[in-house]
Amino acid sequence: MTDALQHRDDRPAVGLRARISLLFAFGALVVSVVLAGVTLVFARGQLVENREESAAVIAVSNAVRLNNQLTPDTTFEDLPTIIDSLTSLEGSQSLVRLREEWLLPPELGRGDLPGVLAAQVEAGEPGQLRAIVGGRPQVVIGLPLPAFDAAYFEIVDLEGVNDTLGSIRIILLSTGAATTLLGAAIGAWASRRALRPLRRVRSAAEAIAGGRLDTRLERQADPDLDALADSFNGMAAALEARIRRDARFASEVSHELRSPLMTLTTSVGVLEARRDQFSERSRTALDLLSQDLARFSRLVEDLLEISRFDAGAASLEVTDLNLADFIDATLRATHLVGVPVVDPFHGRLVIEADKRRMARVMSNLFVNATRHGGGVAGVVIEADAGTVRIAVEDDGPGVPANERNQVFDRFSRGASAGRRGGDSGAGLGLSLVWEDVRLHGGRVWIEDRPSGAPGARFVVELPQPESMDDEEGRG
Amino acid sequence: MMAMGTRILTVEDDVRIRTAVRLALEDEGWEVDETASGEEALEAFGRAPSDVVLIDIMLPGVDGFEVCRAIRRTSAVPIVMVTARADTHDVVAGLEAGADDYLTKPFAPKELSARIRALLRRSRSTEAESATMQFEQLEIAPDEGAVRMGGIEVHLTRTEFQLLVELGQQAGRVLSREDLLERVWGYDYFGDGRLVDVHIRRLRTKIEPDPANPRFVVTIRGMGYKLQP
Repeated sequence: MTDALQHRDDRPAVGLRARISLLFAFGALVVSVVLAGVTLVFARGQLVENREESAAVIAVSNAVRLNNQLTPDTTFEDLPTIIDSLTSLEGSQSLVRLREEWLLPPELGRGDLPGVLAAQVEAGEPGQLRAIVGGRPQVVIGLPLPAFDAAYFEIVDLEGVNDTLGSIRIILLSTGAATTLLGAAIGAWASRRALRPLRRVRSAAEAIAGGRLDTRLERQADPDLDALADSFNGMAAALEARIRRDARFASEVSHELRSPLMTLTTSVGVLEARRDQFSERSRTALDLLSQDLARFSRLVEDLLEISRFDAGAASLEVTDLNLADFIDATLRATHLVGVPVVDPFHGRLVIEADKRRMARVMSNLFVNATRHGGGVAGVVIEADAGTVRIAVEDDGPGVPANERNQVFDRFSRGASAGRRGGDSGAGLGLSLVWEDVRLHGGRVWIEDRPSGAPGARFVVELPQPESMDDEEGRG
Repeated sequence: MMAMGTRILTVEDDVRIRTAVRLALEDEGWEVDETASGEEALEAFGRAPSDVVLIDIMLPGVDGFEVCRAIRRTSAVPIVMVTARADTHDVVAGLEAGADDYLTKPFAPKELSARIRALLRRSRSTEAESATMQFEQLEIAPDEGAVRMGGIEVHLTRTEFQLLVELGQQAGRVLSREDLLERVWGYDYFGDGRLVDVHIRRLRTKIEPDPANPRFVVTIRGMGYKLQP
């Protein structure tokens, strides 16, 4: 059990379903990122190429138009008008050389033209080149116009494609996010579906823990789940067999011990009937024998009872009990007289309980109070909707808070109680109280006396069906 | 003397227990027929009927329940069952097989003789002079030891009869299980209420026109039973 708990500590705090959902979301995220990256790179290449092509087409047509409009008389001053009339791509700039003079856009100088291209054009060859101009990626196209000793250059900004790419990026980002969320949702759904069989396993395990030992998981014709069902059922069958074996063992031991005890008890009874005929010494020996036989019988009885609880073989015989009558009878059976009983129901409260077991509970509590608590100081009945409480108070030194749970352990004796007194019990009495009360679905605990008087208060709480009848108006 | 000539048949397979029990019973002045198996017991009972039969449930061969049922088919003799435990179904099964009372091992000889004495008292209490009681077609005649339904005699065991007489004498009053355990079985408060429940159930099958909806012996929840006049 501690092993299981330690493993639990090592595990992440996130549940399996959350982890599966996260995994799905992460997968969706990775796929979206990769897809988006590939899309962006490809789109960018495509866009740049398109822009270069259209820039080249426009530059050629501009050069042709310039060539048509130029005459040998055209002066440098005429150039801006002509240039203005040319078509221009957004983000493109034109540079023109007419004879010795250059018409340049505001931010550019001649030096911005790549030397290789300029030389090529001056040699009479048109050319195109990608270059960094003014710190930005641009495509530079140059065309010679030899008829007029002129040259036409166009510098087209490639960064224009980034705007388009930006929009694409936004779209990819939002679809990526949507995909991730969808992945998480699918993960949650899939994990719930996949883990549904585990819920059946859980309820089956709870059923077994609750005592229905014959609970088994049905096979679902699913190779993965059937392996689980098979091993679960195997475990349940082994557990059931073991518990049945333990129960059988307890009953066999019970029978084996009872037979010699039966012979002993009856024979000692026969001897006791002749007690008067014995000598003093024989009488003393007989008394020792019969007292220890009673003690031994009681111990065997308690041990067998405990072993039946352990084997899950203990069962309840619930009947209606008038609680006040019951408590009176248990006090009388323990030879206790004059014990005050506080009963707010004036003898009319009827509870459902196992008479034999509750009689043992009361007797053990009374015996405990007598041996370790300086006598029974009082019994208090309390009840509210669904529960009834019987408190046994004593006049002893009380039980320290840190010992209150150990008191119900097997063979535990109060620290204050010495070793073996003349008639000290085997230390099973209070653990049987605990087991008997638990079998009723109730609980037992120790508290201080509410009056503030020294001493302990043992409280037995039993659940009751909601509609509790009392005897009033009956018969 | 009451115990004079009282014969007790015991069935117990363990010779040591059987011997010890015989010694204890003989100390009470009773005659004891010892048998070691169910077959032997039935044969002995057929040869010479006893006043009380003491049967151990756990017997090899014909078990205690079967012995009990076989005796019940022909006789109303008081039967005490000996079981290993009080909280098993054995007790109810034994009572349903026809036992009047039960004891759990190990029991003291005093307990055993107290139980047997209570049963003997019951089977000889017919001399108690009581007026015949009539509840519609149900007639209880304690002095005759007879119960009639519409004039026809109903065969009850002594315990069932005693139970009906106690309820009839207090007709209309509720008797708790503890009351009945004390009056019929001679138990104190801690007698087993199942003794009452099982005997009431058997009584109903014999005297009630519809045992599932009793007309005469009705259950008062949380309190006990009463005979409805």
